Amino acid sequence: MENKAGTKTINKTKAGRRAGMILSVIACFVILVVCIRAGSVYISLKDLASIVASHVTGRPLPAEVAPMMDSIFWTIRMPRAVVAFLIGGCLAVSGAVMQALLQNPLASSYTMGVSSGACLGAAIVLVSGISLPFILPVTSFAFGLATVVIVLAFTAVIDRMSSNTTVILIGMVFSLFVTGIMNFLATLFSDHYKRLWLWMMGSFSARNWTHVAIVLPVALICTLIVVFFTRELDIMTFGEEQSKAMGVETKKVKTILIIVSSILTGVSVSVAGVIGFVDLVAPHVVRKLFGPEHRTLIPMSFIYGGAFMALSDLIARTVLSPQEIPIGAVTALIGAPFFAYVFFAGRKKG
Amino acid sequence: MSLIDLKNISAGYARTPVLKDISLTVSEGEAVMIGGPNGAGKTTMLRVMAALLPFEGEMTLEGQDASHMKRRDIASLIALMPQTQEMYFSYTVSQAVMLGRYVRMRRGLYGPSAEDKEIVDRVMNDCGVYELRDRLLSELSGGQLQRALLARTFAQETPVVLLDEPGNNLDIKFRAELTEYLEAWMEGTTEYRGKQIRNTLAGVFHDLGEAARLCRRGVFVKDGRIVSDVDLKDAFNSKVLNEVYDFDVISYKRTESAFWNS
Repeated sequence: MENKAGTKTINKTKAGRRAGMILSVIACFVILVVCIRAGSVYISLKDLASIVASHVTGRPLPAEVAPMMDSIFWTIRMPRAVVAFLIGGCLAVSGAVMQALLQNPLASSYTMGVSSGACLGAAIVLVSGISLPFILPVTSFAFGLATVVIVLAFTAVIDRMSSNTTVILIGMVFSLFVTGIMNFLATLFSDHYKRLWLWMMGSFSARNWTHVAIVLPVALICTLIVVFFTRELDIMTFGEEQSKAMGVETKKVKTILIIVSSILTGVSVSVAGVIGFVDLVAPHVVRKLFGPEHRTLIPMSFIYGGAFMALSDLIARTVLSPQEIPIGAVTALIGAPFFAYVFFAGRKKG
Repeated sequence: MSLIDLKNISAGYARTPVLKDISLTVSEGEAVMIGGPNGAGKTTMLRVMAALLPFEGEMTLEGQDASHMKRRDIASLIALMPQTQEMYFSYTVSQAVMLGRYVRMRRGLYGPSAEDKEIVDRVMNDCGVYELRDRLLSELSGGQLQRALLARTFAQETPVVLLDEPGNNLDIKFRAELTEYLEAWMEGTTEYRGKQIRNTLAGVFHDLGEAARLCRRGVFVKDGRIVSDVDLKDAFNSKVLNEVYDFDVISYKRTESAFWNS
């Protein structure tokens, strides 16, 4: 599979790799600024900087910046771009972790049923008509995580060794089962179907600083936990038994990391709906560029996934403006051909 | 003292036991050949000795109850070189060998120390893969991969090493070098929990002659049971081999060696 590709990575020289990483961080920052500025209302870099500065330092806004600009950029565009970036990062890290743990280049925490669980949770909230603040994201998060826990528990009962094939199979069976329940509910209460469908397609519209405040700590803490396990992740790509022989507590590491990456995916789905492809594309691109070692793969996946998502959202809100394209459609429309290009272009050379 | 002590061990995969009621003691400084026909349970035996499979019975490693030991403690005592290696992502030889240092490396977010790098370079050199260090594992030939895996095993720096057909895919020169390398390694000691322990080896070998240069003791497995535990020197003249393999091994080998003597 992946290993057949004749990869010419820049990981040969340490200096080259480091330069590549620094460039990536700078490019990512530029992309974020572009995403914030692009749109029907123009703002100069200087004005944007003074808006940010006034909010960060608490000083009043300079007189030459119109208050309307402040509300457009500080209240609408910036948090939207930042949430998109963070969620892209969360999904990419979670994808990288699941691919290593399950030794499957196509795995993601969607494989474990996070998204179908989250959708069922959302469906129940929408159908029941309960409206409390944040009830939708909280319930979908809880359902997403619960599905993963059930999948893990079920796997442990059926297969004492909890082999990857069993995990993937049970994850898929539960995903389909839970999606079935959701479809059943959606049919019974078809008036709510459009809202549910829109929610599932994913969107960053109207996301504000509160959403940033929810996603940011989860993204930071979970990614940091993953970073502490990067050596174990490297070893576990060589198989569970070999990892044990090399001294890794595989069961413990696997459980912790599956839960952490499910939290990353769960929080993303509950805030922005189901968005595919970022979790698959970003880690693979990073592996091509920097090699498979998780010490660089995890942080770089966050950056690439974040930048990819921010750009996708830019496209989603500008191309058919004022209408928005569902973000999930954009990531797939760009992601699939790009992924094919990266994957097969590398293969031909090899 | 005994480093690996198995008492009435049964083990296997899912619900079918492969090994039945095995008892075996491997002492410090010993080199043990594990032999037997295909499918007899030799690989399973090595896996059990590294405590990788769920088992029934009693197992102590360096005096400690194996079922209560941490992976880290087992892996600093015993390293296992597998016969095959699953690979899904493109690691280079030196990256993979460095992973063998896992139990020896400083924990946390530190990179490899100067000592780690030195040892990785040394074992890559010893195993003849130093020149291949920046190549991807997936691009290596069977024999090169085998040597890279051997380097990773020795990078773990354990007093006990279990080898599953280490000579597979190696050409005759490398097989001779491997035997010499293992002979030299057997002379040394390795630190475990603050003590120096004499290096100890158990391995599945198919070439009896090569095995006999390294190992004095031969443990033969058949249908999941130990059928014979002998001094290897005696095995060449006794009926043991013929019985184990259900085949006239001795006359076959003698016919073969006649070519060398002609």
